[in-house]
Amino acid sequence: MGRNHPHIPPLPSEPILSVEQLTVRRGQQAALQDVSFDLVPGTDAAIIGPNGAGKSTLVQSILGILPRESGAVTLLGHRLNAKGQLPGEVRQQVAYLPQNFLVDRRIPLTVKELVALGWDKLGLQLPWAKAKARQRAVQQALERVEAGHLGRKFISALSGGETKRVLLAYCLVRSRQLLILDEAPAGLDVRGEADFYQLLYELKAEQGWTILQISHDLDMVRKHCDRVICLNRRLMCQGVPETALAPENLSATYGSEFVRYRHNRHAC
Amino acid sequence: MQDLSTALALFQYPFMQRALIGGVLTGLTGGLLGSFTVVRQLSFFSDALGHSALLGISIGIVCGLSPSVVVLPFALLFAIGVTYLLEKTDLWTDALLNIVYSASLAIAVIILSSEGSYQGGISNLLFGDILALQTTDLWVSAVLLLGCSAFIGLTLRTQMLLTLHEPLAIARGVNVYAHRMAFMVLLSLVVATAIKAIGVLLVGAFVVIPACAARSLSRNFSSYILLSAMLGALSAAAGSFCSALFNVPSGPSIVVTQLILFLAASTGLLRRTRLV
Repeated sequence: MGRNHPHIPPLPSEPILSVEQLTVRRGQQAALQDVSFDLVPGTDAAIIGPNGAGKSTLVQSILGILPRESGAVTLLGHRLNAKGQLPGEVRQQVAYLPQNFLVDRRIPLTVKELVALGWDKLGLQLPWAKAKARQRAVQQALERVEAGHLGRKFISALSGGETKRVLLAYCLVRSRQLLILDEAPAGLDVRGEADFYQLLYELKAEQGWTILQISHDLDMVRKHCDRVICLNRRLMCQGVPETALAPENLSATYGSEFVRYRHNRHAC
Repeated sequence: MQDLSTALALFQYPFMQRALIGGVLTGLTGGLLGSFTVVRQLSFFSDALGHSALLGISIGIVCGLSPSVVVLPFALLFAIGVTYLLEKTDLWTDALLNIVYSASLAIAVIILSSEGSYQGGISNLLFGDILALQTTDLWVSAVLLLGCSAFIGLTLRTQMLLTLHEPLAIARGVNVYAHRMAFMVLLSLVVATAIKAIGVLLVGAFVVIPACAARSLSRNFSSYILLSAMLGALSAAAGSFCSALFNVPSGPSIVVTQLILFLAASTGLLRRTRLV
């Protein structure tokens, strides 16, 4: 593997993300056990499962935030090493939006500065290097998500919906291949959530992103996603929504009570 | 109170010039690192290190070494030890710092109480003596300022992302442990160097107060960092002058000046007078 010239992008047949027999421990307990799946470019995959099923653990260990006990993760043809490291060029191709994005609201960071962090390569560089290119890219990304007017605002002054749009600009500001979203629309009302997904899928169509997202909204998953990964510490099932969201699979993942409740709610 | 010309005339003396330059250098460095220290909620770190440094100094006294020689390596050990403990234990930062500094202080007091010959130097350690700065001290401060500016300047975006959201930074491949360690080591060296001038009790103010004042005045993160460093330098210069004018100790005079700037910034007075 060329260290100076990582092989990007992968061939269409090659998975953009490959997880093999991933096991993660938290304390004495296995948070994930022998999870394996592949994502080919262009897929929109949803990870579903009850609370405590290991969904966030899965995406965090894919990104090297949490250590693995065993198993392998390969992103864009590059295997995550034991320390959770990947070449910088590969990292640049992946954007991650964490659950709730809780930040200290007293930090005096503006929207433009936040989006610019998505553009920068984070190595050693002078603070004023490539200032014009950065400024142009940030403005274009903000305008694309209709947040151009928010640039000078502190991030603490944003509403929930505005924060999500700005975070999408953070992903958009540089060309990416894979977006990993951990319950990205959490905290938004129904309208806000619908707006978020509309914008996300417009951008996916434009940018050709592959998406791996954690979601509790099974209706959204059925409507938008073409791949479902059912998790409850183990991989319970995976496939297209029509089969993965069948009652027997949901029952295995969430328990039979959940399926009965969901059936009754939809019947009302 | 002296008249203005007498106070200005005092700055013809080399020891006053060294005090002024030393104060400004420490103010700049303290303000620069302080901008990140405050938003990372590490304000207590500089205080804890200041108090813990007494242990290093007292061990030095027992071994017959000068406090200035002992305090830098001690600060380095403190930074590495605390960062390691923070990583390995699941404790809150302020609780862990409290344990370390209380224990260090207690041992230091026991050691110093048995060293009767050094009782007179305790006051200098507690409150510092900026007028006693030597040219070598200024060189050390200048090199530290240069090092800190290079570190913050060249890794600015990484530091910002780390400050904002650690998991987001890890997902981008940032080595959080290495960056945290480097920052703690630099902060420890700055605090340790400043102890001679400001003393262990007041040293935290140099890191915290200018940054808090800058927070109220800044329009973005970059201006916040610059403003914090500038307010650190301004308060050191103005505080040194007030010390000469009112014939009061320099260290406390600088800290009171920082407080005045902080109050003016927090109440909007500085903005209304269009000073910033």
